[in-house]
Amino acid sequence: MKKRVFAMLMAVVMAFSLMACGNKADNGGSGGTADAAETIKLGVVGPLTGGYANYGLSVQHGAELAVKEINAAGGVNGKQLELSAQDSQGDPESAVAAYGKLMDWGMNVFLGGVLSGETASVVAAAKADDMFIMETTGSADKCIDGNDKAFRICFYDSYQGTAAANYLKDNALADEVGVLYQSDNDYSAGLYNAFVAECEKTGVTIKETQTFTAATATDFSTQVNALVNSGVKVVFIPIYAEEASTFLTQAKGKFAEDVYFFGGDGLDGILGKVSQDVTIADNVLMMTPFAADSTDPKVQAFVKAYEEAYGATPDQFAADAYDAVYTVKAAVEAAGGSTSGADLAAAMTSLTVEGVTGTMTWNADGNTNKAASAILYKNGVGTLFGQNAAENTDAAA
Amino acid sequence: MTNLIQTLISGLSLGSIYALIALGYTMVYGIAKMLNFAHGDVIMVGAYSGIVAVAQMGLSPWVTVIVSIAVCAVLGVVIEFCAYKPLRQAAPLSVLITAIGVSYLLQNAALLLFGSQQMAYPTLLKLPMLTVGGVQIDGITLLTLAVTAALMAALTLFIDRTKLGKAMRAVSEDKGAATLMGINVDRTITLTFAIGSALAAFASMFYGMTYVYIKPTTGAMPGIKAFTAAVFGGIGSIPGAMIGGILLGLIEQMSKTYISTLWADAIVFAVLVVVLVVKPTGLLGKPMQEKV
Repeated sequence: MKKRVFAMLMAVVMAFSLMACGNKADNGGSGGTADAAETIKLGVVGPLTGGYANYGLSVQHGAELAVKEINAAGGVNGKQLELSAQDSQGDPESAVAAYGKLMDWGMNVFLGGVLSGETASVVAAAKADDMFIMETTGSADKCIDGNDKAFRICFYDSYQGTAAANYLKDNALADEVGVLYQSDNDYSAGLYNAFVAECEKTGVTIKETQTFTAATATDFSTQVNALVNSGVKVVFIPIYAEEASTFLTQAKGKFAEDVYFFGGDGLDGILGKVSQDVTIADNVLMMTPFAADSTDPKVQAFVKAYEEAYGATPDQFAADAYDAVYTVKAAVEAAGGSTSGADLAAAMTSLTVEGVTGTMTWNADGNTNKAASAILYKNGVGTLFGQNAAENTDAAA
Repeated sequence: MTNLIQTLISGLSLGSIYALIALGYTMVYGIAKMLNFAHGDVIMVGAYSGIVAVAQMGLSPWVTVIVSIAVCAVLGVVIEFCAYKPLRQAAPLSVLITAIGVSYLLQNAALLLFGSQQMAYPTLLKLPMLTVGGVQIDGITLLTLAVTAALMAALTLFIDRTKLGKAMRAVSEDKGAATLMGINVDRTITLTFAIGSALAAFASMFYGMTYVYIKPTTGAMPGIKAFTAAVFGGIGSIPGAMIGGILLGLIEQMSKTYISTLWADAIVFAVLVVVLVVKPTGLLGKPMQEKV
């Protein structure tokens, strides 16, 4: 009996210590505390804890940094900005509850959900509330559909697939390519489908297609063998950095030295993932609108400020969120200080914003036009590679 | 031809990892008659202990091996003491649900401690890549196979030949009668968990050296696959776990190469269904007869 009581006590202690840790991690609260009438309240929903927390925290930090800078420079039309990030753990259901919390708080502009699924689950409710959405990173083609007051900073998935296929053709990298994509992931499958469709038009042959799922993302030996045997010089990998690092680690030394691994913005942060041996990322060619080592003074200033504030190099998620807050500022100013959804949406299509992710303009469907450049990694250093993909923007959009 | 051999080798590599994990599953099931679904997560904890030992404490590889084994064995005993022992008289279903709960507890505890970012497992041992007739074989693959076979043999000898092993078999057959014969059932089950979890430590090292990246959810999927392998080979049977694991790895890699990467998992589990329909106790499982 005594032992049983002790065991239960242990269980309770373990449970409480977990809860205590949970509270500590969950401090994604509001930024400033100025009077409600004089502030513009920005809300964002994302995974601040749990398995996707790195994405959510990047967005939160990027947005926070922009809010601090804007407030220090006098705010927007004399009003200070205030930011609240609500945790969803990446779960679309929790995102609905988190959105409700933000509405109760009196949010004026919604920065959307960090993950596409989160945005998709609240996009209809936001429309009913006449809430303007400045989506940061939700890239699924359809996640802002059906809401004419929703605009986004990031590329949409099929645009990236199309642009990648055009980039291959324009730089004459290869006539035959291999593909490895994650079949149970919207982002990866979206890029893959658009890439295949565009390759048919440009005349590039897809010689070998290999897939994996979240459940089989640890062992890539058969995929590596098949791609090596196909003899292709370019392998298109529209996957995320984490899976890519596993794939590249197992592929190391097996491919010829002049084979490129070509991917989209999902590869962002690859060097951090393979930090124990950066040469694993050799020959990775990444198309991205944001590069932390760009020589653009605007980007350098952002990277420096971010590193000072958070002790880490900003990734694409942070850059998108940073640009989103500045775009909201530009839109509110263009709308004469109004924060109503209709006024801001009307202002968006005539805006041009020079952000850290490039020079952006917006279409009425909410998607942005901006250039993507390609970065080639060698020995842990990324450099710009080939011609800029800017010329393709019109054709793809 | 080269392609076939390369596929067989990658199948052996994956299969020997499954086999190593399946040994722990089948050992605990065979004796304590419970499915320890937290076994995969014990492997994850073992892998993190290896990372901490090498990267943060700067211990040597051999000390790291001992630290990992100690951490896993102690964790197994603590889990058994806190979560399973109080339920010794409860229905098997309650214990099963508790095991799933422990699995999530470990995953989330690791998430809080280490974060969601993957970490790289240290290279404990540098083995050369062997090239035989254009076919590349990773040294780790051969070592994993050898260690799995050795552990299987040692475990079989331990259970068949030693006094403690005899006690384990007695507990497995009839807890009540074993108690009457003067066997300390609680201590025997605790020892079973200690050994099963120590096996998880071995699995964590070879998993880490083969697949390098460790996340809090690392143990979940290999755990399920290894459980499948154990059932495939006949759960409770130690050689069965080894054969089941290796067959599962081979089938998985063969279907990935020759049929489709999309269908590989469906095929693996379809084969499991067929085996269980034809032979419900698995390949090497013995039907248990209730003596009246």
